Amino acid sequence: MTAKGIRIQGLRKRYGSGDTAVDALKTVDMHVAPGEVVGLIGPSGSGKTTLLKCLGAVIEPTAGKMILGDDVIYDDGWKVKDLRALRRDRIGFVFQAPYLIPFLDVTDNVALLPMLAGMPNTEARKRAIELFKALDVEHRAKAMPSQLSGGEQQRVAIARGLVNRPPVILADEPTAPLDSERALAVIRILNDMAQKFETAIIVVTHDEKIIPTFKRIYHIRDGVTYEEEGEGRGFE
Amino acid sequence: MHSWGKFVFTGMGLGLLIGITLSMAGIYRGMVDDAKVLLDNSGADLWVVQKDTLGPYAESSSIYDDIWRGVRSMPGVKRAANITYLTMQVGKKDGDVRAMVTGVTPGEPGTPGWPPYLVAGRQITRSHYEAVADIASGFKLGERIQVRRNQYTVVGLTRRMVSSNGDPMVFIPLKDAQEAQFLKDNDAIREQRRRTAENPVFNRPGVPGLLDAVIASQSTNPYVNAVLVRVETGHDPEVVAESIRRWKRLTVYTRSQMEEILVGKLIATSARQIFMFLVILSIVSSAIVAFIIYTLTLGKIREIAVLKLIGTKNRTIVGLIMQQSIALGLIGFVVGKISATLLMAPIFPKYVLLQPLDSVMGFIAVVMICVLSSIIAIRAALRVDPAEAIGG
Amino acid sequence: MKRLPFQKRTLALIAVLVPLLALFVYVALRSGPLAPVSVVLATVENKGLSPALFGIGTIEARYTYKIGPTFAGRVKRLDVHVGERVKAGQVLGEMDPVDLDERIRAQDATLKRASAQLNEAQARKDYAQTQALRYDQLLKAHSTSEEVVATKQQDLLVTEAGLTAAREELSRVRAERKALEAQRSNLSLIAPVDGLVVSRDADPGTTVVAGQAVVELIDPNTLWVNVRFDQIRVQGLAAGLSARITLRSQAGKLQAGRVLRVEPLADAVTEETLAKVVFDQIPDPMPPIGELAEVTITLSTLTEAPVIPNAAIHHIDGRLGVWQVINSDLRFTPVSLGIADLEGRVQVQEGLKIGDQVVAYSENALNKRSRIHVVDHIPGVTQ
Repeated sequence: MTAKGIRIQGLRKRYGSGDTAVDALKTVDMHVAPGEVVGLIGPSGSGKTTLLKCLGAVIEPTAGKMILGDDVIYDDGWKVKDLRALRRDRIGFVFQAPYLIPFLDVTDNVALLPMLAGMPNTEARKRAIELFKALDVEHRAKAMPSQLSGGEQQRVAIARGLVNRPPVILADEPTAPLDSERALAVIRILNDMAQKFETAIIVVTHDEKIIPTFKRIYHIRDGVTYEEEGEGRGFE
Repeated sequence: MHSWGKFVFTGMGLGLLIGITLSMAGIYRGMVDDAKVLLDNSGADLWVVQKDTLGPYAESSSIYDDIWRGVRSMPGVKRAANITYLTMQVGKKDGDVRAMVTGVTPGEPGTPGWPPYLVAGRQITRSHYEAVADIASGFKLGERIQVRRNQYTVVGLTRRMVSSNGDPMVFIPLKDAQEAQFLKDNDAIREQRRRTAENPVFNRPGVPGLLDAVIASQSTNPYVNAVLVRVETGHDPEVVAESIRRWKRLTVYTRSQMEEILVGKLIATSARQIFMFLVILSIVSSAIVAFIIYTLTLGKIREIAVLKLIGTKNRTIVGLIMQQSIALGLIGFVVGKISATLLMAPIFPKYVLLQPLDSVMGFIAVVMICVLSSIIAIRAALRVDPAEAIGG
Repeated sequence: MKRLPFQKRTLALIAVLVPLLALFVYVALRSGPLAPVSVVLATVENKGLSPALFGIGTIEARYTYKIGPTFAGRVKRLDVHVGERVKAGQVLGEMDPVDLDERIRAQDATLKRASAQLNEAQARKDYAQTQALRYDQLLKAHSTSEEVVATKQQDLLVTEAGLTAAREELSRVRAERKALEAQRSNLSLIAPVDGLVVSRDADPGTTVVAGQAVVELIDPNTLWVNVRFDQIRVQGLAAGLSARITLRSQAGKLQAGRVLRVEPLADAVTEETLAKVVFDQIPDPMPPIGELAEVTITLSTLTEAPVIPNAAIHHIDGRLGVWQVINSDLRFTPVSLGIADLEGRVQVQEGLKIGDQVVAYSENALNKRSRIHVVDHIPGVTQ
């Protein structure tokens, strides 16, 4: 199944009703192609978080259209019944902090998702380890999360985001706590993974260290997005 | 890893609480067992005591020591033997020990009142100044012990021969026990003689020998505490008891009635106290487990939101929480059972009987408490909005 | 089927639970009602028992002499003290004669008076006799009437009777005087035999009634022990058996003695048989009367027979028997028993053979379903 990336048209999100209504998102248009890594930049209060929540299918937009791959997810109403399965199978998440489950080892942390989707145990773990190889943490496959360094944990978290081969990954400030070397490493990994698995990746960030690496950037202000060309620098 | 350590540590603390609870149950069972063992070891089917008393264990009872002859001749009675009981201090070389001194009728092994089995030594063969003691008293074979004014040689040892209070029993010949029970110390005897001599009714010059006769009668003790009866095989103890009651006008208790008196009246107060403790401890344990699980869960709100966000089913999250709770309970139970068996039961001064059934019931209770206690945490977890995982 | 990735943790839990369960089962089998009971075995041996009888008694004197007056009076003096040895016939003391001497003097006076009265009676009789003879002669001479002669005859008879009366009166008074003298001599308290004074019951000045003892004597060579034996264990007691006596004040020191007699009257109230045991040699210093003593009488050794320790005997379901161990199997064997000795060994008449193994000591009460575990000594019993 070729993922066609993610496409958003005229998304609006209104909180409240009548006189006290507030439009957190007024009109948002975005599209990210498979394999592409775009940045989403905006000050606080710009609706950045709200947009992410809509993209992540945790809140319901008020109007607009969201298309994931070939499927229309939202068109003035959810078109998908099981949002949780949607999140599990078709959207990947990478957070500021790894948020790994402390009492499972890192392989299980990653294998949890495909198992929930129905994949047999051993196969899920195998897939997790494959991702670890790609992310260069397979030597820590049997460790508990607390035994890994920050960077290793983040890579495991990325693996978790990738494990179900979702067409889109939402990354929320993934490099905020890292120094420039690590931050660039993370962005490079994300780019590699995007290419390898043909995933569209949206990175919400205000980290000056990695903004220059994006080829395309969306700015969001007062609930409206503006597309822009990025510098597209390398990852040193 | 340190959170894992904290978890185990908490489980151990909970375990000590559970251990105390199990020990309490054991103490109660030990008390009931003490009472049962006392009745079993007496080898009697019926107890004949002073009229309208709950004796000889729950209340003091005095009957003449020749009543046994009348009881012996009743139909259905195989053997009847006098017995006395007195809880008192028994002296040894340095210090003394609280024991229930039991006076047994001389005869052969198998006489009611005799210890039914020994762990060392032999049964009493001489009619005076020999004793068989329970090992709980600390006496050894061959040791000389002091009961009132006489010294006795310990010739045999028993195990689990205790009064309903848990005091070890010391068996001595009946006549020595009668003397010990009623004869006072020398000062009191001299005082009594003096008073009798001053009384002109007893000290008549025209009747030489009267004073001596009166003093002699004051120094004998014709009483015992009970007559133990063994019933012929084939006869119903209650029927035999009823005939003794009717014709001898004495109070007679069967084995089941004695058990009811001991368990129902004698240890009822202590049993109630222990039961209350059990309930309180269980409530406290439940509260602690609930609190711990709730706190642990609250500390993981972020993770739970993340799990929900990335698509974990509610059911899975609930299972995780409950699993954690049950794990805590299991660690607690393991620690509790081990500490109760190896630490608390041997140290406690009374007999603690830990039955496997109690442990099984305790285990089930612990698991149920854990499951129920985790409900509060589960409800909190279910309320978490996955959207909270996104954004700061 | 979906398997959640909790395997690692579940495995860890199982790794903890399984040994716990095993420990549980182990503990239940080892210490609960299912646990095997530790027992110590004894072998039925062939032994000749030396049964013995044991009783306690008090030292008493065989003969106690209570010396006192035969009439009420006051004690005048006592010449002996407690603990002194006296000889037969020795004067121990004296009662106060009070008015006895006066009474004797009065009696003397009465005696004199009776004597005088006798003389008077004799004189009268002599006169009457003379008169009777004279008038007899006068009658023969027809100088007087027969009536007068009869009167004189009667006078003679009367005075003869009076003489007899006076004579008897004198005898009576003399006898009374002798009686008072006898009493006077009885004022002395005399020791009837050689002995030891054990008590002074009334000091000088005390008034005593007749029959009340003033001084008590015993014969120290006739000390014996008045022993009481439980009637249940008195088989074989007979006069002549040798005995070992231990005085309470000398625990550990044995005195030799023998049974003098078994009392025909037993104590029905205390259910004891009484016997008298004498010392072969009275201990020196003499043990006080009333001291307690323990007496052991060894009977003759019996022929060899199978014996078991009395700790092995139990009364189960109305029968007397032992727990026998045959090829590690537990079985209750009823036995009939014979004589026992004081060390706890009992003869077995029926039910066991020499070499059979029986349970002597057990940790708990045994029943048919008990599993046993043979040990050298019961745990918890320090040797």
